[in-house]
Amino acid sequence: MNEALQTVLDALPYMLQGALVTCALVLASLALGLALGVPLAVGQVYGPRWLNRLIRLYVWFFRGVPIVVLMILFYFGLFTLLEINLSAFSAAAMVLGLTSAAYQSQIFRGSIQSLPGGQLKAARALGMSDTIAIWNIIIPQALRLSIPGWSNEFSIILKDSAVAFVLGTTELMARTHFVSSRTFQHLPLFLAAGAIYYFLTYAGVRGLRSLERRVRIKGYSHGS
Amino acid sequence: MAAKKLWIGIACLLALTLAGGTLALAGQKHYINGIDANFPPFAFVDKNGKPSGFDVEAVNWIAKKMGFTVTHKPMDWDGIIPSLNAKKIDFIAAGMTASPQRRKVVAFTIPYWTIEQVLVVPKDSKLTVEQVLKGGKAIGVQRGTTEAKWFAEKKGKNGFNYTLRLYDSAPLSVEDMLAGRVAACAMDDAPAKDIMRKKPIKILGTYGMPPEEFAYAVRKSDTELLKTLNKGLKMLMASPKWQELKKKYKLQ
Repeated sequence: MNEALQTVLDALPYMLQGALVTCALVLASLALGLALGVPLAVGQVYGPRWLNRLIRLYVWFFRGVPIVVLMILFYFGLFTLLEINLSAFSAAAMVLGLTSAAYQSQIFRGSIQSLPGGQLKAARALGMSDTIAIWNIIIPQALRLSIPGWSNEFSIILKDSAVAFVLGTTELMARTHFVSSRTFQHLPLFLAAGAIYYFLTYAGVRGLRSLERRVRIKGYSHGS
Repeated sequence: MAAKKLWIGIACLLALTLAGGTLALAGQKHYINGIDANFPPFAFVDKNGKPSGFDVEAVNWIAKKMGFTVTHKPMDWDGIIPSLNAKKIDFIAAGMTASPQRRKVVAFTIPYWTIEQVLVVPKDSKLTVEQVLKGGKAIGVQRGTTEAKWFAEKKGKNGFNYTLRLYDSAPLSVEDMLAGRVAACAMDDAPAKDIMRKKPIKILGTYGMPPEEFAYAVRKSDTELLKTLNKGLKMLMASPKWQELKKKYKLQ
C-alpha cells in the first residue's frame, strides 16, 4: 500500500506535466472547433441547398470515422503526401479540432433553430442585411444557448485527447502508461490519472457554468 | 467588441498550435530517436520523466562521440516505423529486432544484441512449454512485435492450440497474466528477466522461435546516418562503456 502511494507521489509531477499537455491539446481543439463550428452551423441553417449538403457530408465524415483512424490518416497519410510538416501535437490538435467542429456545428445549429423565426424576419423588415442580423442578433443568442451543450463537448474532447498518443504526443494517458510499465503499479497510477481527468472535467464544467451565469440576460432567458 | 476579442483570441490560438513545427538548428546535426517507453531495460522513462535505458544511454554515448545531438521521443510502437518513414523521427534505437519483414521497409545497423524469445508464467504455475503451446490456453504478447507475428502465423499448425491476446506493452500482458486472464506471456528474455525482478513470475524457457538480433533502424535512403550509427556502435561495443552499460542494466 505504501509502495503504491509512494510510486504515485513520485510520478505525480511527471503526470501533471502530461495533464498540461492534455489541457493545451483540449484548448486548441476546442478553439478550432469553435472557430469552424459556428460558420458551419450558420452555413447549414441559412446557406443555399448545396452548402447544406456539403456541410452535412463534412459532419457525417468526421463524426463517423473513429478519431484514431482520422489521426493516422491525416498524420501519416495526408500530411506526408502534401509534405506539410506538423508536429504530432499540432496534427493531433488539428484532427481533434476538425472532429469537434463537426459536433459543435450541430450544437450551434440546434441553438440557432430554437430561436424564434420571427427575429430574422423582423430584422429584415427593419432593413438589416442578413449578415448583420445573423452576426449581431442570432449568433450571440445561439452562443448563450449552446453553453450547456458545449460543456458536454468539452468533457468529451478531454477524454478523446488520450488518443493523441497514437501520434506520439506524450499527454497524461501516455505518461501514466510509461510510469506503470516501469513500476508495475498499474492500478494506483491509472486511478490517479482518472482523478486528474475528473478534476480537469470538474474545473472546466464549473468554469462554463459561471460563464453561463455571467452572460445570461436578465428577464430574457429561462430561469433568470 | 467582446466578440471581436474572442475571434482574435481564437485566431491566435490557432496560429500558435499550427506553428508547432520543427526548429531548424544551425551547426550540429540533431536527430530524433523514437523509442518504445514501455520496454525496460532497453528503453523506458525514469522517475523524473526522462527517457532512460540501455539503448537510450548507448545512443547518448554514441551521439557525444560522433558529434551530434539527440532527443529521445517515446511513442506508440505500432506507429514507430511509419513515423520513421514519414521523417517524424530519424532512427529507432529501442530494442528493435531486425526481422526480414522490417528489412523490407527500413535499413538496420549492425546487430548489437542477441535475444531469445521466452515464455513467462506466474511463479506458482505448473504449466510446461508444451502445455502452453498446445493446451488451448491464452497467451499474451505485445502488439506489433515479432513474437506476435510468429504466434499469429503458427496458430493451428503442428498441433499448436492457443488463443492469442494482444497488449499495448509487455508489462501490461504480465499484469493480465497475474490477474489470471492469460496463462503465459511471450517476450524477449532481457525484459523478461527485468520483470522477474519486480513481479512473481518465472521464465519457462524458449518455445521454438529462433533467436533474434537487435539493431538500430534508419530510413532506407539515409545512408549517411546509417554509417554514423554503425561507426558509433562499433566504437561503443569495443569500449569499456559497453561492459558498464551491461552491468548497469543487468544484461549479462
